[in-house]
Amino acid sequence: MTEALAQTCFVVLFFSFAVGAIGSLILRNNDRLADWWGNSFAILGSISGIIASISALAFGNTFSYTLPSSFSILSFSINFDYLAAFFSLVLSLISLFASIFALGYVKHFFGKYNIGSLGFFYNTFIAGVMLVFLSSNAIFFLIAWELMALTSYALVVYERHDEKNVKAGLLYFIMTHIGTAFIILLFLLLFKQVGSFDFAAIKAGLAGMSPALRTAVFIFALIGFGMKAGIIPLHIWLPSAHPAAPSHVSAILSGVMIKTGIYMLIRLFLDIMPGTSLWWGLAVLVIGSVSSLLGVLYALAEHDIKRLLAYHSIENIGIILLGLGSSLTFLALGFKSLAILGLTASLYHTLNHATFKALLFLGAGSVVSKTHTRNIEEYGGLIRFMPLTALFFLIGSMAISALPPFNGFFSEWMTFQSLFRGFQALNSMAQWIFVLAAGSLAFTGGLAAACFVKAFGATFLARPRSEEARHAHESEPSLLVGMGGLAILTLVFGFFAGPISSVLAKTAGSLGALKMAEAPMAASWNSVRFADGFASLSMPLVLGVLALSLAIVAFIVYLWAGGRKVRTCATWDCGTTLDSRMEITATGFSRSIVTIFNGILKSTKQQDIEYHDADMRYFSKENRFTLETRDIYKDYLYEPLHRSVLKISNFFKRVQTGNINVYILYIFLAIFILLIALV
Amino acid sequence: MLHLSQTLFFIEIIIFATVIFMHLSKKSSSVVVLYALQSLSVTVLLLASALEEANLALLAVTILIFAAKVIVAPYFFLKLLKKNQLKFSVSSYLNTPLTLIVLTILTIMTHANFFKPIAVIAPANGSALLMAIAIILISIFLIINRRGALSQMIGILSLENAIVSFAFFAGLEQTPGLELGVTFDIITWIVIATVFVSMIHKQFGSLDVTSMKHLTE
Repeated sequence: MTEALAQTCFVVLFFSFAVGAIGSLILRNNDRLADWWGNSFAILGSISGIIASISALAFGNTFSYTLPSSFSILSFSINFDYLAAFFSLVLSLISLFASIFALGYVKHFFGKYNIGSLGFFYNTFIAGVMLVFLSSNAIFFLIAWELMALTSYALVVYERHDEKNVKAGLLYFIMTHIGTAFIILLFLLLFKQVGSFDFAAIKAGLAGMSPALRTAVFIFALIGFGMKAGIIPLHIWLPSAHPAAPSHVSAILSGVMIKTGIYMLIRLFLDIMPGTSLWWGLAVLVIGSVSSLLGVLYALAEHDIKRLLAYHSIENIGIILLGLGSSLTFLALGFKSLAILGLTASLYHTLNHATFKALLFLGAGSVVSKTHTRNIEEYGGLIRFMPLTALFFLIGSMAISALPPFNGFFSEWMTFQSLFRGFQALNSMAQWIFVLAAGSLAFTGGLAAACFVKAFGATFLARPRSEEARHAHESEPSLLVGMGGLAILTLVFGFFAGPISSVLAKTAGSLGALKMAEAPMAASWNSVRFADGFASLSMPLVLGVLALSLAIVAFIVYLWAGGRKVRTCATWDCGTTLDSRMEITATGFSRSIVTIFNGILKSTKQQDIEYHDADMRYFSKENRFTLETRDIYKDYLYEPLHRSVLKISNFFKRVQTGNINVYILYIFLAIFILLIALV
Repeated sequence: MLHLSQTLFFIEIIIFATVIFMHLSKKSSSVVVLYALQSLSVTVLLLASALEEANLALLAVTILIFAAKVIVAPYFFLKLLKKNQLKFSVSSYLNTPLTLIVLTILTIMTHANFFKPIAVIAPANGSALLMAIAIILISIFLIINRRGALSQMIGILSLENAIVSFAFFAGLEQTPGLELGVTFDIITWIVIATVFVSMIHKQFGSLDVTSMKHLTE
């Protein structure tokens, strides 16, 4: 595969998104045509992105070029290196299947919302995210970042008839721009140091940067990019915004867009600005541990299926940060080889999370489109009506719960190896942080499994708990193809863990800070093995053992019960009628875990009982139990902050008297002071 | 040459005197007449410059400025006063003695040591430059101190005259094209401001800006 082909694909990619966006707008009066046009070109663009990315990653066809502009500080610089190619591949894969899914899914918006504008914003959004990964000039990057932010806002508020969505969009809009303010600050700091906004120039000119300035850049980056990644406590926009968007958009928001924050943290601290401090890595580890643990705990307490998945995104960003944090720590201590291991784990989980989270969001979208609700309590028994959706959702649930043989298992295993190596290699304080991070990861894995037992069980098993669930039916072929493709990818990325981790190690080793370092593991097509024999894993072998175990169990069951006849008869039900009210609900399932963590979750319980005789109050007619969690970040961080800002604003409001004479007096004083100061 | 320089300085003193009298005058029509006199003085400065450089374009612009500031603007204002039957301008925030004290302080400050370096721009016109700065500050103070919208408008126009006179003595005259643009801006501004003042008077029955405070709600 030649470099020319890669570059051609690259041009086709942006051309497709542009034609898709503009064509959708032109065809906005015809819903069906606008849907077909917008998503077809998104599919074409995504396929081009996949080819260009694979060409770069597998055949080394990386390239960069610069288009100068009339402004001296802005150049349209694009750098399609290994890291950019990897993230572009993640985006292209997810947008491909999300767009196939959207071909059918968008139909339920026909007549309600403008399909043309959805196609326009959807294509522009994907192009914006792609540009974020490719840009190599800070001003160009900020333009792409803003393009991504504004188009994603438009997609979040797309279903604008629901006031909740509009509010979620507003919160997202405000939070993302607070983040952008910090990002601008950090680029200005770098510009002050080197006098250029070009990443290559910044990379070359940072040698004499003072530690204080480096620390300021790190903190601004952590806040600015952390806001986009959704790390706790900067996450409050995420559980509202991601569920508000149409499901195929949620898949890209949760699967890819939040990774732009991770991408820039990697780009900044492992490529552009090498020379990290030890505490940076440890801080990222602590943030990762807290985000993963709290993310999954909040997900457990959720009853809205898309909010539940959004909280899992916070959890998984935490896991990705565990890999990145360990990499930064190893780098600060001079263990470059181990730093490659940590970063490879981080990148692998980025890829995996994108795949299974997109799958789960598409699965949720398929369910929501048939039941018209996001409340898990109103589902139940959908496996009978939507068997394929149930199968794909189960695969996604197993992958996110890190169960073999799916991809989530391997990347979490690799993250564990990275943390264990830290425990083995470091001094006491750092060692304990690695131990706690590993403990938190183990705990998170267990809780995630419990959460998806709840989500899958309450959605697909037992009996339907609402009329909508009773009348649901399987989704259209395009939705099934979208979900099926991603389900296959979760298995493929798990099965071929060896070659994939080899490519990712090569990507990690291409970064400025890790150049010339060797990965500590050797990967073949069927296994990953550490050079010192610390650990090894063969995913095909795991799959083989699992398949064999299942076969043996099936064989034993066949031997034991194969000759028996199946008898169908009524179950003894204590004389009452068995109905869906007797099932364990999602709230009931998670209640015990939520109660254990009540100190953190601050749950509120509400019980409403209606009696047959209100005076006697012996026989209850209906007993309704509501379990909710308080938003402690809102209560203890954002609300006090909001109050303080209001107080300060009210104080300064006195300056604004409404009298024009006073305003001119201010001008007069300003001129007078300036004259005295400047003369 | 020395004679011309003294004449120009005398004209600057007239400009300074007009702005002082604007502060002291209570009649709106007097303020308008003082503005016309001040504008005439500025026009004379520009005329001197045009004749000295024998620049026809500048002469044409000077005639235009004369028409705009000495004839059109006062005509508009006097017509406005007649139409709305306004004989007296509204009161000022500070009374006359206090106003005079502030004017004295501003004039002294512009002649104090820390403003002296400004005279370096054009050493030959050092005193005139400092006086121009005093006129600028006193004009701004006119806008601050007066409650009436008309007086504030005159204050803004007086500020513009003061800036022109400063530029003249500093040797910062601009091209005739730019001067023409500035004059056009001023005419437009006067027309718009006059219309607004008419509307304000129609709505509130007064030109006292404090009576319009509820507009901020």
